[in-house]
Amino acid sequence: MNFGKQLKEGLLTQNPVLVQVLGMCSTMAITTSIANGIGMGVSVLIILTASNIVISAIRKIVPDKIRIAMFIVVIAGFVTCVDLLLQAFVPAIAQSLGVFIPLIVVNCIILGRAESFSYKNGVGASFVDGICQGLGYTAVLLVMCFIRELLGAGTLAGFRIIPEQFPIGVLTLPVGGFLVLGFLIAAMQWALSKSKEGK
Amino acid sequence: MSNEVKSKEKVQMDPAYIIKLTVTLFLTCVVVAAALGGVNAVTEEKIADINWENTVNAMKAVVADPEGTTFSEALPLSDEMIAAAGSVTLDSVYEAQADGQSAGYAIKVVASGSQGKIEMMVGVDGEGAVTGVSIVKNSETAGIGSKVMNNENTAAGVGVLTQFEGRTAADGVLTVGSNVDAISGATVSTRGVTNGVNAALAVAGVMG
Repeated sequence: MNFGKQLKEGLLTQNPVLVQVLGMCSTMAITTSIANGIGMGVSVLIILTASNIVISAIRKIVPDKIRIAMFIVVIAGFVTCVDLLLQAFVPAIAQSLGVFIPLIVVNCIILGRAESFSYKNGVGASFVDGICQGLGYTAVLLVMCFIRELLGAGTLAGFRIIPEQFPIGVLTLPVGGFLVLGFLIAAMQWALSKSKEGK
Repeated sequence: MSNEVKSKEKVQMDPAYIIKLTVTLFLTCVVVAAALGGVNAVTEEKIADINWENTVNAMKAVVADPEGTTFSEALPLSDEMIAAAGSVTLDSVYEAQADGQSAGYAIKVVASGSQGKIEMMVGVDGEGAVTGVSIVKNSETAGIGSKVMNNENTAAGVGVLTQFEGRTAADGVLTVGSNVDAISGATVSTRGVTNGVNAALAVAGVMG
């Protein structure tokens, strides 16, 4: 098991959002405040890790033909658990993330990792993969939340930083999400090709 | 199509294989369903408590004396009450109690606005007069219909939701333009809320 390599892949070279370009919908929709970003990131991290472990553990008995159906059943089970637990214990987060928690079922990061990683690798490696990819997703969410909340709403984690009349309101709208994400992907690609040239 | 693909297809259509697929998928679903049942058993009561707390807060916003009022469980809805609400959907009715006495009802109705449903709570006192209107959930246009939802002032200088306070069924049917002031540009949203208040008054009338 190579934790360092997998962590680097999750955060940088194989970042789920910026390099694999998975999970765009939720990334765009919920990154308007830091609290949302943390809630969503942690939920995805937990679900991804749990489903990675289970799928990797049952990979030998899953017939190839129905593997996608089995993945979805396992993932949907974990998502529903997390949804119920959030509603019961952190209702404020459940309220503000709304429908995006149930929608984690169809978040392609989770199905994508099930298909491309945990179906082919052992439990330990899949566990690490879940954590690393989850961290990569959360990191991008937080960067986007930081930019959009600070410049769009003028606050950080609810505290006002920029006086009310100055923020660029459009950044909190979907259009701002597309812009910020586009710039982040471009910056990531630039940095990756730069580091490749250096080698 | 090549022969190779055809023969592969044949192997996979083997009845034993199909049964294996079905049983595997079925067992997975059973295990997952059992796990969900377990989680639900832990969280069900908590979620119900939180929903009830939100409902109580919405009801407190529409009664005359928020501190001294307690609320009953949702009352059973009769066909008469549902019919009285007319085109507006009657969601639930709660009895408000102050000092052990009935102090009217909190009535939750779902009216249609300009962009979708408006869920609203209407308080009606023992004399059949509106004690308050609050919006629980809506999807009205930001900056236009949302002005109605946020109880902004009409041209007459009274909050658009506040103007319903004290109205009774005896005032006749409330109509935007004659005895209800709309927010300029948000007539449809105001009309939706007005329909909701009319329905709530009608329901309270049936209940006596």
